[in-house]
Amino acid sequence: MDDEAILTLYRQRNSSAVAETETKYGRLCLSVANNILSSREDSEECVNDTWLHAWNAIPPEWPLHFGAWLSRVTRNLAVSRLREARAQKRGGGELPLVMDELAECIPGGSDPQRAVERKELSEAINRFLAALDPMTRDLFVARYYYSAPVNELSKRSGWSAGKVKTVLRRTRLKLRNNLSREGLL
Amino acid sequence: MNRDDLFDAMGGIRDEYLDSAATLLDYSKEENNMNGSANKTKTGLRKTGRILLIAAVIACLFTATAFAAGLFSVSTRVPDPKETFQIHWDDSENGYLEWSDAKLVLTFPDVGESREIEVRPGWLPFELPSQLAGSSPWDHLSKETWFQRFASESLCFPDESGNLPEMFQGISQPILIQLYSMAQFRGDGAMLMLYQSPSDMTEEHWDDMNVDVLSFHGREHFDERYVEALGKTIEAYDLEYDYVLLSNAEAGWVIEVCGQLGMDTVRKVARNLEIRETGNVLTSDDFQNQFLFIDGGVG
Repeated sequence: MDDEAILTLYRQRNSSAVAETETKYGRLCLSVANNILSSREDSEECVNDTWLHAWNAIPPEWPLHFGAWLSRVTRNLAVSRLREARAQKRGGGELPLVMDELAECIPGGSDPQRAVERKELSEAINRFLAALDPMTRDLFVARYYYSAPVNELSKRSGWSAGKVKTVLRRTRLKLRNNLSREGLL
Repeated sequence: MNRDDLFDAMGGIRDEYLDSAATLLDYSKEENNMNGSANKTKTGLRKTGRILLIAAVIACLFTATAFAAGLFSVSTRVPDPKETFQIHWDDSENGYLEWSDAKLVLTFPDVGESREIEVRPGWLPFELPSQLAGSSPWDHLSKETWFQRFASESLCFPDESGNLPEMFQGISQPILIQLYSMAQFRGDGAMLMLYQSPSDMTEEHWDDMNVDVLSFHGREHFDERYVEALGKTIEAYDLEYDYVLLSNAEAGWVIEVCGQLGMDTVRKVARNLEIRETGNVLTSDDFQNQFLFIDGGVG
């Protein structure tokens, strides 16, 4: 089923929308989650949260690239879950609470300046990616967005792991130079 | 900004880039176009053949569909048989030369200038002819000599009588080392065009030398032809070489090591090369003046 048809099911509040989404994008989302969480159980929970988020968000949202949109939701959920787990490990369960409480001291519970900076950073990254050749861009995104292992990138690209590492390293250095030139570092 | 900020900012990467990378990873169930292209290129490499380094493709007429390029790394593709390349060349009547019939194209994108280098063989399958050292034109020659072109047929056949050492009999080019500069390119990427038919091609990276390595066996077929200068007909034959191309696309150079003593020997020569930069930076103007532009022919 194409994306437009699936999204129409969401708009009609047809519960088969989730099943169709899972059929088409289950593998994508599970891979994204698992690359970050390294736990099948946590990843499956994360993907279920993704379906729930999609159900609640569409409509009014109407993603033009449904797969990319889902992967972004999954990634955000997985990263949040990972950070939560790490914070609990570090703080014995109390530190996250303390941090949450302290966060209330910040107006709106967030940092608008930081959000703006991250948006600028995302735009700079996109400008940087636009200037890359397609294969390097794919490798970079696969590694730093999808968190794909180098061995997998080697297998998929047909390049040796050493070459993949070299390309990634050079691309990182170039990104650093670009960000520095744009005053973002 | 910390690494979490950078990681989070990656979440704002454009959807089309995410879709493309997901296809590479085969995370989607859609057809894996990128991987398909790579496989097609690999298969095609076996079909293909004389090496020539050519100038920047200012207006090359090609289809870019099969590109699989790394930003600073060599990419390979099999051009369409009808594909032609217009090469910027001031000395020509039209300001360009046109090339066709390339079987395989290696591309070095994003190269504007080259760092000039020299090489020194750390290992050779023969002794440099000491009897030549001290005699013109090899009076400068020693194991310490740095080269920008090393043609071993001049070095391992020292016998003035013309008798070849047994191991080199029947061989026209035991070992050849030559350098190609990328300086001739003006931002559009450098190209190395192969006219020989390569087989057994492997790509790797040698971390200690910081080079991308392309190894292959190359065969070039010559039809039977009448050679007027000799006054006789030369029978058809195949010329076969083993090639190892070492490239550092970021620095803008390629070192070609080839020969007819077998791939193991060629690889050993390549693996033991010493490489040094002279400190000069070559620009496209140097290329236009044909500075450092090797004749391009092999064998």
